[in-house]
Amino acid sequence: MASFSTTLYNTVFKRNSVYVSTIFAGAFAFNMAFDVGIERFWSHWNQGKLWKDIRHKYVEAEDAE
Amino acid sequence: MASFVAKKYQTLAPTVRTLASGVPVASGISFRHAPADDHSHGGPRHDTPALFAVRFSGSAKTSYVTSSPTGVFQQRFLHTSVARRDAPQVPDFSHYKAKDDSVNRATSYLMIGAMGVLTASAAKSTVTEFLSTMAASADVLALAKVEVGMSAIAEGTNVIIKWRGKPVFIRHRTPDEIEEARSIDWKTLRDPQSDEERAKNPEWLVMLGVCTHLGCVPIGESGDYGGWFCPCHGSHYDISGRIRKGPAPLNLEVPEYTIDEGEGKIIVG
Amino acid sequence: MLSRLPKAALSIHHVAAGASRQAVRSGSVRFVSTGAPTSNAFQRALNSRAALGSAVLMTVGSVAWYTHLYGSLPFIGEVHASSPAEEGLHPPAYPWSSSGWLDSFDHSSIRRGYQVYREVCAACHSLDRIAWRNLVGVSHTVDETRTMAEEVEYTDGPDDQGEMFQRPGKLSDYMPAPYPNEEAARASNAGALPPDLSLIVKARHGGADYIFALLTGYVDPPAGVEIREGMNYNPYFPGGAISMPRVIFDGLVEYDDGTPATTSQMAKDVATFLHWAAEPEHDERKKNGIKAIILFSALTAISLYVKRFKWASLKARKIIYNPPTGKNMH
Repeated sequence: MASFSTTLYNTVFKRNSVYVSTIFAGAFAFNMAFDVGIERFWSHWNQGKLWKDIRHKYVEAEDAE
Repeated sequence: MASFVAKKYQTLAPTVRTLASGVPVASGISFRHAPADDHSHGGPRHDTPALFAVRFSGSAKTSYVTSSPTGVFQQRFLHTSVARRDAPQVPDFSHYKAKDDSVNRATSYLMIGAMGVLTASAAKSTVTEFLSTMAASADVLALAKVEVGMSAIAEGTNVIIKWRGKPVFIRHRTPDEIEEARSIDWKTLRDPQSDEERAKNPEWLVMLGVCTHLGCVPIGESGDYGGWFCPCHGSHYDISGRIRKGPAPLNLEVPEYTIDEGEGKIIVG
Repeated sequence: MLSRLPKAALSIHHVAAGASRQAVRSGSVRFVSTGAPTSNAFQRALNSRAALGSAVLMTVGSVAWYTHLYGSLPFIGEVHASSPAEEGLHPPAYPWSSSGWLDSFDHSSIRRGYQVYREVCAACHSLDRIAWRNLVGVSHTVDETRTMAEEVEYTDGPDDQGEMFQRPGKLSDYMPAPYPNEEAARASNAGALPPDLSLIVKARHGGADYIFALLTGYVDPPAGVEIREGMNYNPYFPGGAISMPRVIFDGLVEYDDGTPATTSQMAKDVATFLHWAAEPEHDERKKNGIKAIILFSALTAISLYVKRFKWASLKARKIIYNPPTGKNMH
């Protein structure tokens, strides 16, 4: 644990430039991952009620005609 | 010097007392200037320089108590009338101290970094939301595209449609007109542009019907060059909508459009 | 009095001084407030019964004068007895599939509700604020919506000759209204104006519950209630007499997804559709709400940690004055 935290400190936190750029890169990644995660939770929670769950019925019907 | 003072253990007599009248008295301090003292700054006093109990190292401000209070320690209150003569006991803070300094340090940085990440993410979303209010609203965007059926436009005819409040000329050109538009030496024109640049499909010419001079709407199939003629100030455009004669500085503008051959539609916008 | 002082004094110096609560104190402590309140003739007059009586008279007089001039008091609504017959019966809270904090609309219900609106309600009620394009991606596909829009003729223009002309509808067009204007609507409905339904869920107390209760709540008037010719009794409608007759009956429409078209099913679907029409942002709003709550609670927690972290060294430090010991100390 101690060695890991020392490694973490030496690689990321020690230089402010590295620290700040890690924060911004992390924010970018977090933003996308968070959106995807919430979207996934939302579709799971509301399964069967959303438009994308019923869309296939009507698109297929159009193609069949 | 600091380390020297820090490690020195001495029993010090209290130097500041309080008289019964409430006036503090510092009898042990010499206010005289010490000429032999190299470290003096020329002031009247030559006290020990202020030594703060806390030293900062890195961001994880570990505090070090540099000197334990020795001798009689006098607590001073704002009201100085009450004298305290009891020696305080320093409580045991070891329970609150970090077990492992490197873990403690990494955790602190990590928490601050996490706060930065979340704040940046939230700020980005907020800024995006505010900026998106400046974008065109959905009802404007819905009007931004116009579809025109190509089958309804016979060869050699003009159609004028409205798009975003402006007229758009669509001409279904004959082979002769295409030949004429492509054969001339366009490099010598006022606004040199080849017909290939202006028409994606040579049969169809789509352009904004706004004269580049002062914004009048030119008349089709007229003018000296068989194209368009602006009645306001006499600008002549050829069959590719290029300015050939008159005050207009530029060719008629070509809007963004796509030709859907399968559906037989021209989509402007 | 004195017993209160050491505690307050100690709490300030708690960190620095440590545990030394047994400090014995002596000496006098002075407070800001000194002496008993002085009494004089003015104060005696102020506290007299005559002053009280005249103040009461003044108040009652001003209120009476104001109400005489303006009829009612400001900021206070007119007080009157209310009854379910006047206010309308309060609709029960129905378990909508979108009731919960994390629940979206049931989009197949919106689709069925649109069908009910189109086939039943649209005969009298407009839906001005909903355009065809709003249905795309909510309840219908683009092609379906375009087909539906093209079935309606819209007046457009003017053209080159300055004439207005008819053209089939486009996605950007708004839902067609049944009547050209309010007067025509009133004339066709015995003087009553069928309200626009775009925002009706927001515009009525009880929202979708009210719509459902109203649509399914038509009953015979109870004994003693007289309903004029052309009016209908509905306990959920304020006043009880509503111009709109009961319009939803079992099997009135045929749903394309095979759902049995019972009265309550149709009422539920159309209420869901109207709820969507009033709040098209509903699903996105709830999704953003989840994000905001998670993000801001995490930020709050970390901020508290960082606050404690930043203050720790300040709160735990001890400032010690090292007095000089002599001339040549260093």
